[in-house]
Amino acid sequence: MRSSRRHGLSPPAPSEGGFVRHVVTFGRILREAGLEVGPARISDALTGLDRLDIRNRDDVYWALRTTLVSRPEDLESFDRAFAAWFLRSPSRPPYRGALPVDKPARLSERTRTDRSGGVDGRGDEVTEVGWSLHEVLRRKDFAAMTPEEFARLSRAIAEVAAARPVRRSRRLRPHSRGRRLDLRRLARRSLARGGDPIERTFRRRIHVPRKLVVLCDVSGSMEAYTRALLLFLHAVVGSGRGVEVFVFGTRLFRLTEEFRTRDPEQALAAAAKRVVDWASGTRIGASLKVFNDTWGRRALTRGAVVVIVSDGWEREDPALVAREMARLQRAAYAIVWVNPLKGNPEYQPLAEGMRAALPHVDRFVAGHNLVSLEELAGVLAGIERRHAA
Amino acid sequence: MRDVSFATIDELEAGLRSARYLPERGLATALYLSLALEKPLLLEGEAGVGKTEAAKALAQATSSRLIRLQCYEGLDVAHAVYEWNYSRQLLHIRAAQEGTVSEQELFGPDFLIRRPLLEAIESTEPVVLLIDEIDRADDEFEAFLLEMLSDFQITIPEIGTVSGPRRPAVILTSNRTRELHDALKRRCLFHWIDHPTLEREIEIVGLRVPGIPARLAGQAAAFVQGLRRLDLAKPPGVAETIDWAQALAALGRQDLDARTVEDTLGSVLKYHEDFAAVRDEALVALVEEARTVAAGAV
Repeated sequence: MRSSRRHGLSPPAPSEGGFVRHVVTFGRILREAGLEVGPARISDALTGLDRLDIRNRDDVYWALRTTLVSRPEDLESFDRAFAAWFLRSPSRPPYRGALPVDKPARLSERTRTDRSGGVDGRGDEVTEVGWSLHEVLRRKDFAAMTPEEFARLSRAIAEVAAARPVRRSRRLRPHSRGRRLDLRRLARRSLARGGDPIERTFRRRIHVPRKLVVLCDVSGSMEAYTRALLLFLHAVVGSGRGVEVFVFGTRLFRLTEEFRTRDPEQALAAAAKRVVDWASGTRIGASLKVFNDTWGRRALTRGAVVVIVSDGWEREDPALVAREMARLQRAAYAIVWVNPLKGNPEYQPLAEGMRAALPHVDRFVAGHNLVSLEELAGVLAGIERRHAA
Repeated sequence: MRDVSFATIDELEAGLRSARYLPERGLATALYLSLALEKPLLLEGEAGVGKTEAAKALAQATSSRLIRLQCYEGLDVAHAVYEWNYSRQLLHIRAAQEGTVSEQELFGPDFLIRRPLLEAIESTEPVVLLIDEIDRADDEFEAFLLEMLSDFQITIPEIGTVSGPRRPAVILTSNRTRELHDALKRRCLFHWIDHPTLEREIEIVGLRVPGIPARLAGQAAAFVQGLRRLDLAKPPGVAETIDWAQALAALGRQDLDARTVEDTLGSVLKYHEDFAAVRDEALVALVEEARTVAAGAV
């Protein structure tokens, strides 16, 4: 079989020459559509096509799909491009730039100074006279900050995020106080001693960061806090592997990739481009359901600490919130709910969505100022038992 | 050269069929290309769509030995590739008290325990290597695999580089509990397995549950297809359809009725909420629908 194999690009028959060009151009279209199609993949595609009857359109489709696509998310773009390029469907559908880029700029301008009543600050300036300015700032409600104050604080927010919950890995590492014999090293060392294991070596299980899944509400009612919390989340993603970030308003978006960039401003801008419903309504239950259905089913939640950041203002169906929270709770290691409104000492969980969710929440924390974010980081680092309240 | 080779996709399809596996055209093409290009194939899809089965069927169709590596968190080289037989080594050193034992002797092939990956690489007979649920293994292992899958050789520090006379066919499966490394994906062909069409699912049930009445097979498949359209926590896969059809056949049923469905639904649905969603009227309606659909399809 191998001997008969012709190598992809080399001698295209005259009638096939056009086809090779076709495939190469198609690769470029896919790249424009956001797929990662390198020369190696193109070469695979051509070699593959070489092995089958290219008059069979289905086989051509499957061969190209198998060789050029590597993620299910890209299948739709691929299908559109295939229809446009090979089947010459009348209009070429837009591949990108189609996302309504509603309010990308707003995110970076946010941190409001004018606040619309309702959630009141805590009058920190009055009660904390005599504290250093920094200390005042630490306790100031994010919603009440001026842009200058916020800028001074953003680095501190990032520093808070370093603490992560850990779990014991099943991997063993050499350790002087380990319990399990490290036989590999033992055998090697006893070579010099005629087979006597004089020097014993041990290994033990190590601690690694526990999976962390963050679901952040970016709807209108959370607007005053979103920027600070997103900065915090960006830093959490930067703290290492195994962090997944999603945001939701009326729909759920996965932002992990966007948050991988080093620069927080850049990450927020990238996020704003993806998410189309910043500062609109909230559908907590529906968003949780989408999360459970698509990500929970793939066991992303299993053993993870799940952090939900939201004020709990469900616009639609509180019963759905309860149901989906219960599902989430069964899979997760622990659920932490961060509600900036809880920063107000008079806060009562009156929002129906919040009330529905609370029975399934292990820790309920505030997150409205820097001090409460520090508390959150402490809570995350301190989770040691499943569903420990 | 592979002992059993396929000149066309149709031939491979026939081979898989004789291994009692019915692939959609896309999967058959992907498997065919994986053999033809000698590249690993990454299979993804919902649980129960037959990712693992595909590898088993491929092994049978190509008269290859199936070597399976089930991944789990913490899987390391000692369990996936090779390990030294330490107790034998220690005994050997003792036995040779008087003479001296060289390190070379001690870390030679005699003291090597071969784990699945090494076995697959070294094999002289044709092999299908199934690396199952790669997403469960951790990043370190993925990095190791990357190296192995690009050159099909394994480096053992004490011995050197090991490679075999032929490349194994490699199938990786993933449930997407996490995103795999881009570099690993770049080494692989990729195919997403969807749930089968109704006609195909009926065929699969007929093939996997010999002796099942055709009408019952049609109704069972149609019922499961109906379930997949509902908003369930865990929609059933083909594996569940087959299990269920087996249960129905074992009960000697000729026709699907609400009572039987209710009694046997445990082989199809695995979550309590899903049971609640498929109760009473919903269940009766689904059974009715399945009977009508099946009457048209069979």
